[in-house]
Amino acid sequence: MDALFAALPWLTNPTVIIRQVMAGLANGMLLFLVASGLSLIFGLSRVINFGHGALFMIGAYLAYSVVGTNSPDLVTFIAMLFAATIGLFVVGVAFEMAILRRIYNSPQAFQLLVTFGLVLIAGDAVRLIWGPAEKSIPLPPIIDDVIQLFGVTFPLYRALLIAIGAAVCLALWWLLYRTHWGVLVRAATADREMLRALGVNVRRIYTVIFGVGAALAGLAGALMAPIVSIGPGLHADVLTEAFVVVAIGGLGSFPGALVGALLVGQANAFGILSFPQMSIVVPFVLMAVVLILRPRGLMGHIE
Amino acid sequence: MIRTVAGAVLLVAVLACAPLPLSDFWIFVLVQMMDYALYAVAFNLLLGYGGMLAFGFATFFGLGAYTLGILQVRLGFDVVPAVLAAPLVASLFAAVIGYFCVRLSGIYFGMLTFAFQMLAYAVFIKSYDLAGGDDGLHGLVVPGIVGTPRGIYYVSLAIVALCLWVLARIGSSPFGLALRAQRSNVNKSLAIGINVKLEKWLAFVIASFFAGVSGALSGLATQSVFPDWLDWRASAVPIVMAILGGTQRFIGPVIGACVYVVLQTVITGMTEYWSMIMGVLIIGIVVLMPNGIVGFFRLRHE
Repeated sequence: MDALFAALPWLTNPTVIIRQVMAGLANGMLLFLVASGLSLIFGLSRVINFGHGALFMIGAYLAYSVVGTNSPDLVTFIAMLFAATIGLFVVGVAFEMAILRRIYNSPQAFQLLVTFGLVLIAGDAVRLIWGPAEKSIPLPPIIDDVIQLFGVTFPLYRALLIAIGAAVCLALWWLLYRTHWGVLVRAATADREMLRALGVNVRRIYTVIFGVGAALAGLAGALMAPIVSIGPGLHADVLTEAFVVVAIGGLGSFPGALVGALLVGQANAFGILSFPQMSIVVPFVLMAVVLILRPRGLMGHIE
Repeated sequence: MIRTVAGAVLLVAVLACAPLPLSDFWIFVLVQMMDYALYAVAFNLLLGYGGMLAFGFATFFGLGAYTLGILQVRLGFDVVPAVLAAPLVASLFAAVIGYFCVRLSGIYFGMLTFAFQMLAYAVFIKSYDLAGGDDGLHGLVVPGIVGTPRGIYYVSLAIVALCLWVLARIGSSPFGLALRAQRSNVNKSLAIGINVKLEKWLAFVIASFFAGVSGALSGLATQSVFPDWLDWRASAVPIVMAILGGTQRFIGPVIGACVYVVLQTVITGMTEYWSMIMGVLIIGIVVLMPNGIVGFFRLRHE
């Protein structure tokens, strides 16, 4: 036991633990926004969207376009979140209607290549439009503050991220489980042929869901924009972590995306404390272990 | 059969004379074509024959290259044992993770190979002492006449030709037929006594062995090992090549690899935004030529 405390000194430090839990929650909520879209799209269309990180990245760049380098006021900041969300919804709908819908019945490798094409195009498109230099945007002064919680000091923005993530999560849950539209989405996920036979416009559901997934990624990108440097490589780490989340939670499972995201958030937060050198392997070890022991993920259904 | 053999002999003869009029740059392009052709054919043993779409196949290309690089640059091995060790390490790793991967099918198989690739990538990119971290390894030495571009070319030609011949034999062997049988119908294959998991595991190990060869040859050609070779995006390259050429014929991925390398060379020469153009081309080809280039022309011909 003493050896454990010696190896991991933070175990006896509640301040550090609380701070890491909060950091992990904020990270987890952002991951949830990206992964839930990825999972919804997969559940419905069986397409694994390798371009999901690219959509996230475009959201961050759109945020930069709205805010610029000067410190924004709160209204500009909120406008930026909406701009990224709506902008990516439009991008997602356009991509689905122009390209993706042509290959729903193609072999999986083709679908993978099409979404990978999106990765290649987006990486260069942001360089072409915004230039190769890394960007950063400031927070509004009113948010750029700290708060006290459980006697520990946090950045206010971290608490806000958790709150916004939770609000979006609730809104999505309400949409999927408490509205007629949500019933249709879940029905299409279960059996699209039957739903089509019943006279529902299934194509439109596919389009809207891809748009919603893209919008969530865009929102996450905008939310992340003030705390990272925005560059053409921003999409890669986000995509791999979102893959980890959906694999752990269960491909296509909405509650799974939440559980997976929260787990990976905490694993990241405490991984970096425990093995600072090798913390980036932690999520992938988790992913491999879950896939080996329980391929359908923690919350997924048996196929 | 005679035509195929004659064609292959002719191709090797042409390739043997090809460097004479070419500059070092184009010799390097040809070497890359041959390396990638081997890489794509090895990958297609999984995708086209086995119906197994690995999202993380670059693991084995990268492991081959890193094995060569670490043995040479860090441990001072001679080039020959280092090159020989590369496919062995790649296929040994594949034998271990393949045990777990082939138990899954479809998307789950793909995702697990992805997880192992990211693990390998994370370990190498964080190991500065061993693997050079995000710089990779540089300064691989190939002594004597073999170390010249033409030397590397002929070594690559000999090794790739031999490996492709072996892969062609494997593809048309009873093992290759059983692999294709389980792709079209798992239950029927089980019923006639094919050990599906074993066949898939063998295919996984064999494909990884040749991916390791191709990674080591790429390390020789560039005298470097780049961590990008292990990145998840690198795993799209063999998929692009196999689909470009078509997965249902042995020659398909070879053609796909040549087209890919030519496109990459030509477009990189024209613009720094080559990956955007590549993205547009990939999407266009997948949407417009669902049978690959070989299939596209065959269908038009018929």
